[in-house]
Amino acid sequence: MSSDPLVRLEGVTKRFGDTVALDNLTLDIAQGEFVTFLGPSGCGKSTTLRILGGFEQPTSGRVLLRGDDVTKRPPEKRNVNMVFQDYALFPHMTVRQNIGFGLELKGMGKSEIAKRQDEIMSFLELTAYGDRYPAQLSGGQRQRVALARALAPDPALLLLDEPLGALDAKLRGQVQQELKSIQRRTNKTFFFVTHDQEEALTMSDRIVVMNKGHVEQDGTPEELYFHPASRFVAEFIGETNLLTGELRGTEGNAVVMDWFGNTLRGHAPGGVPQAGEAITASVRLERLGFHAERPTTANAVQGRVVGKTFLGSRMALDLMVEEANGATLKAYVDADTGQSVGEAPVWIGWDESSMAVLRD
Amino acid sequence: MTRHNRILLSCVYWAFVAYVFVPLILMVLMGFKDSNFIGFPIRSWTLDWYTGVFADTETLAAFGYSVAIAVLSTVFSVIVGTWIAVLLEGRKFWGRAAIFGMTVLPALIPGIISAIAFRIYARYLGIEPGMGAIVWSHAVHNVPFVVLVVMARLSTLPKSQIEAARDLGADPLIAFLRITFPYLVPAIMGASIFCLLLSFDDFVRSFFLGGYEPTLPVLIFAKLKSGMSPEINAIATVALVLTAVIGVWAERFTRRMNKDS
Repeated sequence: MSSDPLVRLEGVTKRFGDTVALDNLTLDIAQGEFVTFLGPSGCGKSTTLRILGGFEQPTSGRVLLRGDDVTKRPPEKRNVNMVFQDYALFPHMTVRQNIGFGLELKGMGKSEIAKRQDEIMSFLELTAYGDRYPAQLSGGQRQRVALARALAPDPALLLLDEPLGALDAKLRGQVQQELKSIQRRTNKTFFFVTHDQEEALTMSDRIVVMNKGHVEQDGTPEELYFHPASRFVAEFIGETNLLTGELRGTEGNAVVMDWFGNTLRGHAPGGVPQAGEAITASVRLERLGFHAERPTTANAVQGRVVGKTFLGSRMALDLMVEEANGATLKAYVDADTGQSVGEAPVWIGWDESSMAVLRD
Repeated sequence: MTRHNRILLSCVYWAFVAYVFVPLILMVLMGFKDSNFIGFPIRSWTLDWYTGVFADTETLAAFGYSVAIAVLSTVFSVIVGTWIAVLLEGRKFWGRAAIFGMTVLPALIPGIISAIAFRIYARYLGIEPGMGAIVWSHAVHNVPFVVLVVMARLSTLPKSQIEAARDLGADPLIAFLRITFPYLVPAIMGASIFCLLLSFDDFVRSFFLGGYEPTLPVLIFAKLKSGMSPEINAIATVALVLTAVIGVWAERFTRRMNKDS
């Protein structure tokens, strides 16, 4: 049944007492995808991971792995392996023994196990550490051992539970690149869980933003960043300007809104809201352009720079728009532009495609 | 802390040390006295009492008997205690508090009371006084210590360890044998040594449940009744050195094991 997706969650709901951790989640994951579940704590991302691993049973719904219903199957009978948040390396076993644990339990022969251990250790540059115990390794090395141990039995799906949380910021960036490249080279399906939006943007093919047990938005990092469907996504991922106004109507694909007397045009990735209601739109800071004359972009307002922050490669400007009831906008510009902007009012312009009208 | 207080506190400390150790030192000293009577002055020294102890078949038999009882009762305590600890730790079920309470109770009952209770119960069950009865009472008395030590260790085992084992294909039994049990080994070792020493040291239960063959403490008691002689000091010194060495070794061993993991 090659038409089946690798993983299919069908109406999965999980309740803990009165709390709904996961509310009717339906989702497919394709072979070879790097999927990230992103959200704040308690959003249901870890519950989803634990249901996929077999550590939790959904209250209702089904989990299919390559078309097989595995909903009630215990962790040891699933072709799924996990990299734990604390790595969970076995302290009384060497690196080599840790990696061999899953292979042994798969019933592989001794020579076969040794071959696979060598293979995976050289792949993850652990060959020199085979005889060390976890306590004798650095954080980054431990993380690689955890990855090696989970990859060794050749799982159909690899689960990663915030595995970079324990690393320092510098190492984390490096490990992010490594993880992504390992995923590409092995063509394994990675299911990654994190609350760190930057991490999600850097590594994923696809991000599922979770909030209060349901999916807020499901798309590529670019889609989520530039075309957020909801206010939650716009605020959770990156920095943004939120413009609150009233919906006027639609013109073709464009959504027309009134922002304190200024007519603005945007698009609505999350669907057009009800007419006449107060709505919010999001414009990313780097999407605001500066002009001496009124620009020809779909949206243009006049504003004054009231604050500048030098950030090295770029500059953050605080702008006040008098004709919009004194509302403020924030913009990122390159350092040269930032320096040249003076006290005098400037024109600020942005495209229709740069402004996303949000679902609440 | 002022200088004055520090001096006062160190005086209290050294007074306490003297209080604990002076009797022990006196006991050891008297074992080397070349006279039948215990007391100062010591005019000449001898090792005769020690050679006497190692030549005395009665003492050696009592020592062997005590060791056998200690080892056997420890094996039972450790098996039962570990089992109960694994059952209780980190789980919630109806009756858990009751089981825990009953498990710990034997450690809290005064020795004389439990010894009499055992004696009555043994007669009721038709258990003859002797080795079996002593081993039984020691094992029951020592189980709480095993349970507490093993539970404390178990509570520090991250849940993810077992989940990782399950994730890699281990069923619950294999996960216990390959992950949980090795993690518990230092605690089990420590508890075993403690049980051995408790059993070796026990007088009351051994006295009430013993048959004609005396354990070492019971033998010492019997010898005391016929009058103090430096022979007893020599026996006691040997026992003291042995238990101290085992105790210190066990403490260092468990600490090292704990540090490794």
